Amino acid sequence: MSDEPRDATATATADAENEVSGGLADQWASFRDREISTVLLTLVAVAVFPFLFNNYLDGYTQLATLMLIYGIFAIGFDILLGYTGLLSFGHAVFFGGAAYAAGIFSASVSSSPLLVLLAGLVFAVLMAWIVGFLSLRRGGIYFAILTLTFGQMSFYLAASPLAFLTNGENGFTSVDIGHLLGVVDLHGGVPFPLSMLVDNMVYVFVAVITVLSVAMANRILHSPYGTVFRAIRENESRAEFVGLNVWRYKLMAFIISAAFAGIAGSLFAIEGSYVPLESLYWTESGRIVIMTVLGGVGSLFGPLFGAGLYLYIENIVSGFPTLGPFWHLILGLVFVVMVVLFPDGIWGGVQYVRSRLFGGEES
Amino acid sequence: MTLLADILTLLLNGLQQGAIYVLLAVGLSIILGTLKFVNFAHGALYLVGAYLGLFITTEVPLTNGQLAEWGIQSYGIGLGFIAALVIVPIVVFVIGLLMEKFVAQAFYSRPDTDQILVTFGLAIIVQETLRAMLGGNSQPFQQPSWASGPIALPIIGNFPRWRLGVIAITAVLVLGVYLLVEYTDFGLIVQAGTLDGEMVRLLGIKLSRPYLVVFGIGAALAGVAGVVGGPLANVNPNIGTEQLVPAFLTVVIGGVGKIEGAVVAGLMLGTLQVALIQTGNAAWSQVGIYALAAVILLVRPQGLLGSEVDVS
Repeated sequence: MSDEPRDATATATADAENEVSGGLADQWASFRDREISTVLLTLVAVAVFPFLFNNYLDGYTQLATLMLIYGIFAIGFDILLGYTGLLSFGHAVFFGGAAYAAGIFSASVSSSPLLVLLAGLVFAVLMAWIVGFLSLRRGGIYFAILTLTFGQMSFYLAASPLAFLTNGENGFTSVDIGHLLGVVDLHGGVPFPLSMLVDNMVYVFVAVITVLSVAMANRILHSPYGTVFRAIRENESRAEFVGLNVWRYKLMAFIISAAFAGIAGSLFAIEGSYVPLESLYWTESGRIVIMTVLGGVGSLFGPLFGAGLYLYIENIVSGFPTLGPFWHLILGLVFVVMVVLFPDGIWGGVQYVRSRLFGGEES
Repeated sequence: MTLLADILTLLLNGLQQGAIYVLLAVGLSIILGTLKFVNFAHGALYLVGAYLGLFITTEVPLTNGQLAEWGIQSYGIGLGFIAALVIVPIVVFVIGLLMEKFVAQAFYSRPDTDQILVTFGLAIIVQETLRAMLGGNSQPFQQPSWASGPIALPIIGNFPRWRLGVIAITAVLVLGVYLLVEYTDFGLIVQAGTLDGEMVRLLGIKLSRPYLVVFGIGAALAGVAGVVGGPLANVNPNIGTEQLVPAFLTVVIGGVGKIEGAVVAGLMLGTLQVALIQTGNAAWSQVGIYALAAVILLVRPQGLLGSEVDVS
């Protein structure tokens, strides 16, 4: 979606090509490594994205909004899968749970978008604390299956015993979103200078949150804390030997990723004013796994890209005349090919080609 | 008297409900236990079994999906149910062999995570191929005529004949696999390989072929489960993913690699589910099995009958 990757420990390898390209490349590299430039590039990307998407890719703004929402979800998921190396099959709990929490909060407490967002976020974090605490006792497949178990449990809870809250199989329909800060109508139009780029206020709101989320993820992953996550992924016992409390870091990685899922879930409820029951089913957890792996695990922008690609195939390609009916099959095939041949995803492939062409850093 | 009848009905229904879980779980469990391979495509094998069973048993009209658009009005060869019960396991056994050879082998040395991802992807491919070709609507899978209708049992009274059939078929198959693993040379090699594969290889015994067969048997069981479970509910492309999660729970509750464990766990889950439905708590029936699973896994992470050996 945006143009440049961030996670560079830019030790520009001094090969011949690099020395030739000299000063300009170095300046570019140092620019790219700064946090502010990541944020600025993301900002520019989300600002021009709907315009390009609507005009050249048969897109529409609502889909662009959804792409960003799932992008936030995937960025968070990648902190867990790509950086810490834990595969959760229960993240629908946090996404769908936050969407329900946000929806119910908006209907019965306050309809202020920011408070609704906060409600979903808090709910997701609390749930993650509990689920993570219980699931992280075992590694590997047990973690995947335990998260899956809790995910399905919450799906069936929402489906009937809690139907008085969630409206059961019909999904939660009474989401009520008020004006942002009492002034801005989220489902209204956009004032003049911005309206050249975007035609929908919800997109602007989601885009701003996306930029903040990217900045947040970028900061976490470049902090010593993020380095510990990577150390755990690379070698858990070694991290333990160095004296790190691995279990606590894993729990925090789980909670952080759920927080992103919570933000995405709340935005999902705000955007669509509706929460379907399927948002808690385990195939939703599977969707986010596919998005993240497609885009590229272990990179900041890969998952955003993967989410966009998945939704593009699901919504646009599915309308193509001959290819259309096979869209899900195509996704499955691409996914398997990626897992088998390119474990680093599309973004990893782009990185690889770029480093071959221009030399320079491997991230 | 009626209380006794109620309890017995509950147990029989629980057995029947658990039987499908057991069939799936035994296959999953021996694959996971021996080959250390996490097969998220096991539900897809169940799905293939169900559709293949449908194809062999009757003539199914096509209403939507690509095949219908290409002008094919129906599929099926109408050989009857017994034929399906014999042919499906053989075909799915071969599918299992191919899967081991071309998918699993390449992933033995890669992390669990990658195994889960690739088999998850395969499951999607199978499911979506079927959906695209045959349409996503539910197909009724008729119970064989000789086994439909109720049968009069002592104490309980009338009980659906087909449910007894499901229990009987499951019992025979699981017992067969159990005897194979426990009392034959083949089983001995497989068990030894599970404990210490390197040692077995050092003794000059090739493990690749037994492993291949184990995968095939596990797959065949899933295929049979599809044929047997099909008539209990309608057949549609989603049944594979729906069955996968309870099947995995059964495996980990029972203890990975333990056939007895899978049986005990499957029956527990089935009985609990039926008990909740029969006592008027149908809304909690699904939540109940997941809650039970969560509690057991937290108290006894290695599963009910699992050994202390860490398999994660």
